[in-house]
Amino acid sequence: MACLGSVRLCARVEKLCQIGQNAQVRRKASSVKLKQFVDLPLTRSAVKSCQTAVPGSRLLSSVRSQQPGSLPEYRVDPYQLVDDDLKNVHFDIQEELRRHTSHDELYTIAQYYFDGQGKCLRPMLCLLLSHALNFHIHKKDKPLPEAQRRVAMISEMVHSASLIHDDVIDCSDFRRGKPSVNVLWNHKKVAMSGDFILAVASILIARINNDDVTICLGQVLTDLVQGEFMQLGSKETENERFTHYLTKTYRKTASLIANYLKAESMLAGADEGLTELAFQYGRNVGLAFQLVDDLLDFVASSSALGKPAAADLKLGLATAPVLFACEKYPELNAMIMRRFQEPGDVEHAFELVHKSQGLEQTQFLARKHCVEAQRLAERIAESPYQKGLLVVTDLVLNRMK
Amino acid sequence: MLSSKVSGFVAMRGALVARTLTARPACQALLHTDGGQRGAVTQHAHNTKPDWNKAVSEAEKIVGYPTSFLSLRWLLSDEIANVALHLRKLVGSNHPLLKTAKGLLYNGKNNMQAWGLIVLLLSKAAGHLNVNEMEEDKAAGVLYSQRALAEVTEMIRTSHLVHKGLVNIHPGLFQEGAVLNDMTFGNKIALLSGDYLLSNCCVELAALRNQEITELMSSAVRDLTESEFVGQRDQQNNPLPTNPLEGSPVEEWTLRSELSGGRLLGKSCEGTLRLAGHSKEFSKEGYKFGKHLALAWQACLDMEPFMPSSQHTSGVGFSLVSAPVLFHLEYDSSLYKLIQAGAENVNDVDYAEIQSIVSKGPGLAMTKRLRQEHSQKAMEVLAAFEQNDARTALSNIIVAMGEL
Repeated sequence: MACLGSVRLCARVEKLCQIGQNAQVRRKASSVKLKQFVDLPLTRSAVKSCQTAVPGSRLLSSVRSQQPGSLPEYRVDPYQLVDDDLKNVHFDIQEELRRHTSHDELYTIAQYYFDGQGKCLRPMLCLLLSHALNFHIHKKDKPLPEAQRRVAMISEMVHSASLIHDDVIDCSDFRRGKPSVNVLWNHKKVAMSGDFILAVASILIARINNDDVTICLGQVLTDLVQGEFMQLGSKETENERFTHYLTKTYRKTASLIANYLKAESMLAGADEGLTELAFQYGRNVGLAFQLVDDLLDFVASSSALGKPAAADLKLGLATAPVLFACEKYPELNAMIMRRFQEPGDVEHAFELVHKSQGLEQTQFLARKHCVEAQRLAERIAESPYQKGLLVVTDLVLNRMK
Repeated sequence: MLSSKVSGFVAMRGALVARTLTARPACQALLHTDGGQRGAVTQHAHNTKPDWNKAVSEAEKIVGYPTSFLSLRWLLSDEIANVALHLRKLVGSNHPLLKTAKGLLYNGKNNMQAWGLIVLLLSKAAGHLNVNEMEEDKAAGVLYSQRALAEVTEMIRTSHLVHKGLVNIHPGLFQEGAVLNDMTFGNKIALLSGDYLLSNCCVELAALRNQEITELMSSAVRDLTESEFVGQRDQQNNPLPTNPLEGSPVEEWTLRSELSGGRLLGKSCEGTLRLAGHSKEFSKEGYKFGKHLALAWQACLDMEPFMPSSQHTSGVGFSLVSAPVLFHLEYDSSLYKLIQAGAENVNDVDYAEIQSIVSKGPGLAMTKRLRQEHSQKAMEVLAAFEQNDARTALSNIIVAMGEL
């Protein structure tokens, strides 16, 4: 079935590539993006290489085949839909950063991750939802107001600032296929650069000049830090652990998406119900995104991820696949408590997760959140952008990196 | 739950006290007053000696409860309790975060942490116009929003100090695995604690529902981050002076001091006047006041190791970009050779020798003049204010600073 699926997908890739011809600037980037979602054969070989590295890993297809063959027709490419606004996001951010400092080194570090290589998921969602809601409210499509484009851009800035601080906290070596910032520059300067990006982002938020938007986006920072604090502790009992994990996931990942979409909806002039819808859509997509991320940490190769595989275990973090696996293999509990510190823990846990239903259950939970997001998106007036919001959930669920 | 948090914190304080008892905090030396002559500006001052402690504690009475962010509200918040517990694990290691934390707990009143107080005093001294009565803390004579701004000022300052206290870990720096682990963990906690404070700033500022202030204070955070990129640095990011043949020491000192504090206090003072409904023009005077006060303060701190009465232990490190050193470099550039010994690590510098050379030169006198200039400019701004108890307290603080 996987084979059949991939043939069908390849045909779709061709179709999409044809559409891609029109977008001169973004063609390269978007074909890469399409590949990451649909090029199954590539990933399977990648999984094999992962298997040789870590004994006990299973083929990704075991997870994939759990999905019913209901992959939607990718007639709508969400990235394509908002390409006009999205293609300049990184460039605009670099320009803003440059404008705010005369110190070359500070600028160099701060702009390091704005190189056009990231997935740009957050700004893409912001732009898509803005268009969809504007259409929903005004019954016609029009160019996005500056404020909404700004919020999309700021979402990527705040995300990257948090990545930069994460890199220092986790002492990571690689991100997005290149050396992490903390490898190239010293910790103090990297920390300051993260603060710098945040400060510039705050300035830009203030300039949107909407009290409620500022309040909404301020909440994101608190959530990010609290999520990071939660990640430090693992003393919870078994029952509390999953709630703890989900709350942490909301704060570290979903809150940013949910609140930025909420801000976009407020700028669109949405009423309370529609604002809540935007928030919940973002929350569900965000949770699904992180669940899949945690899943990929077990199944994808480091080359596909742009960072080392099984990275979470090595950091001592018990994510959803491990927590699910716990039900079948209680011996994982002790390892979770000692944060996989003892020799062999990481490999053993990795193996047990693959032997259990942990990956399938994680996938199932992610799917549940995607279905909920779709249900919410269906309540928005029909438009290409609204379709885009539906398709995004599939991309999130089926992504390979 | 609550009691465990508190006891964790108390335990940490206990541990820190034990470590503090042996070393006399540097600030104690700063409290030393010599009862020297007072200028004309002291006419509003009380009759007693312009004692620093007294000036500050009386000023606090004027604007209500102390502004230090270590109020009970903060102690009981989840994250701070979390930090406290983690800090306890670090006691015994050498991570600089401990020193920063100690400074916050014990030197609170006597160093830069009095900034929130300055902001509140200026708020009260200037009064407010056309503001809803509901928003006023009547007893203290300041607005709730101004109190929040004062707190934000301290949080920004503290978060910067904490982030500055990270250790640059590079391969081969720590031979022992345990030490490396301590340092890595310390960095993690320092980074998160600083981020926690910053995120709280954003929330508090957002709650003011005043985008002009949010932008102003965000730009103050940006200025602080820039300060860490000025000039040459050693491997731990400690600043080194620029070659005296290539730049102007006073300009260098002013740039560094403005970025690393002057603009923050200036912008807070400007912001608090805006919150009170004062004109942009008048608020700019507030900026001037804050900036010059911060620079005077910095000059004052810079002088300390070189004072004849100094409690500074000979040979112990001081900032190589402090005003007396920079002034001396301008006077005699041969000192630069000694300083370059610290290009990789400022601790490789012969501090005793530099201290003795600088003490004999004109650097100290010139720094004193620099401090007076900035004090004077701050005083000039105050002169435009109506006479009241807050204004008197501010001038008392400035005078007391001159007598340290």
